[in-house]
Amino acid sequence: MTLLQTRNLFYLLLPLPVLFLSLFIGPAGSVAPPGVLEWFMAKLGGGIPLADAALQMVEEVIVNVRLPRVILAFLVGGALTVSGTSLQALVRNPLVAPEILGLSAGAAFGAALALTVSWLPLQPTAFAFGLAAAAFTYFLAVSRRGVSVISLVLAGIIVTGLFTALLTIVQIMNDPFKLQTIVHWTMGNLHNAAWSKVRSSILPITAGAVALICMRWRMNVLALGDEETRAVGLNPEREKLLVLVPSVLVASAAVAVAGIIGLVGLAVPHMVRMLVGPDNSKTVPASIAFGGVFLVLVDDLCRAMTSFEIPVGIFTTLIGGPFFIYLLKRAKLGFGE
Amino acid sequence: MAVVVNNLSFAYGRETVLRDVSFQAPAGKLTALLGRNGSGKSTLLKLLAGILTCPRGRIELMEQDLSVLTGAARARLVGYLPQFHQAVFSFTVEDVVLTGRAAYVTTMPASRDRDAADSAIRMVGIEHLRRRPYTELSGGERQLVMIARVLAQQPRIILLDEPLSHLDLFNQARLIGLLKRLTEAGMTVLAVLHDPNPALLFGDCIVCLRDGQVALPPAGGAPWDSVFLSEVYGLNLETVPYRGKALIAPVESEGGKQNGNA
Repeated sequence: MTLLQTRNLFYLLLPLPVLFLSLFIGPAGSVAPPGVLEWFMAKLGGGIPLADAALQMVEEVIVNVRLPRVILAFLVGGALTVSGTSLQALVRNPLVAPEILGLSAGAAFGAALALTVSWLPLQPTAFAFGLAAAAFTYFLAVSRRGVSVISLVLAGIIVTGLFTALLTIVQIMNDPFKLQTIVHWTMGNLHNAAWSKVRSSILPITAGAVALICMRWRMNVLALGDEETRAVGLNPEREKLLVLVPSVLVASAAVAVAGIIGLVGLAVPHMVRMLVGPDNSKTVPASIAFGGVFLVLVDDLCRAMTSFEIPVGIFTTLIGGPFFIYLLKRAKLGFGE
Repeated sequence: MAVVVNNLSFAYGRETVLRDVSFQAPAGKLTALLGRNGSGKSTLLKLLAGILTCPRGRIELMEQDLSVLTGAARARLVGYLPQFHQAVFSFTVEDVVLTGRAAYVTTMPASRDRDAADSAIRMVGIEHLRRRPYTELSGGERQLVMIARVLAQQPRIILLDEPLSHLDLFNQARLIGLLKRLTEAGMTVLAVLHDPNPALLFGDCIVCLRDGQVALPPAGGAPWDSVFLSEVYGLNLETVPYRGKALIAPVESEGGKQNGNA
């Protein structure tokens, strides 16, 4: 028990130094690490003189640009990873990611719609359509005898196709400028992170993550099969919903503020399982910590490497893809056969 | 009586599997369910375990109506070993056995649950597998792990669907010994067995299913009555006396082909 608590403390504390150091990183040539250090020292030393314009500028960059961006990257990375981990346990298939439920396609369509129809708010619309798409998938898959894994995955593919087609229609009907905005959104990016985005996503992500942490051990039960779950006294259909709803909630909230960031929800859960083993009572909290840190680090790389912004979704795919192939080839993933 | 089944009928869609089944299994005894493939044995076990629910008929477990029990209350009363099992994630044996405690756990298993899993692992004699990934075990080892999972659940009745499958002779004998000890300690065991001989040797009671209906040995007669068992299996059987009981073996017929049960 004490071991468990130390471990949880570790998950809680691990991200902090990464988040802190990430504040020092920015596009080359702007606010450089020594400047940040100077600001930090001044801040500790009792405040920044109003007259010091340079330090005021540094403060502006740190507090209103980098801090929300780092926090948002952590939230989004943690949300996508914990959602992927949970859904993989739910459908008993390690090749599943939040996107499989159609929520990314739904959110992308919602975002495109909001970018086209000016009175629709962007993030809430994307969020709502992400949830709606996942709910649609669930109701397509559910039958009198419950939800089978195969029907859930098939329904997800159908819903993804449907919303992708709708997205294409919206794209065709738009002018080139709006089209560019839509395409940029779907690429997944964090460069226009702001406190408003943190505020709008932190509640659903935290609530969903807490729910998933509560379900972490029961995911082990569920992962063994429907009959095996029923035999030990749990209703598998109820348990599935208790995992599905928070997973969809956190992933939709993440996609709504950051667009489609590929491979995080698929590849990072595997890295986590390699580190802590397949027991979900460890992988769920670890997914939040490692998933968050992963995206913060990738985003750091994004910001440090170039003076212009490459969407972070492209980077996660470029880094995650080859790494995932390497894992597959070494067959060291945390599942058998 | 630990298990009382009255007028149970069940169908998968239009295919009737059980027709008006009634039988009883006494507490603290090992009752063997025998019958041919497709005779409804596994379905009956799933109905008793609450895996399937039954619109017609009544099942009582330890004097309680099964249909009104909550999942957790049912799981504390009755444990179930499925016939087929596969795992995707490489959970350790310990973690798999621990999932048997779900009816006692709210969010995370407590030390009392770990103790129960631990003693179940020792009872089945798989301490050496404790930290091994479940997915790397042989079929027989997995079977033992799943049996430990049922024991960790600490039910009063256990339902086993073909517990001897995949087990070598050593482990078969060992498991039968364990089941006998459990019944002596008051546990009721109901096991589907494909091979009638262990049932005849070690079972306290025998219930046979034939085409979804119960067939019981002739009143006053021994369960190894060859005429009775020949009818159950649709096969010419011969009894061979063995230590006050009897084993059965098929009689070789001239054409080699036996009568089916039409």
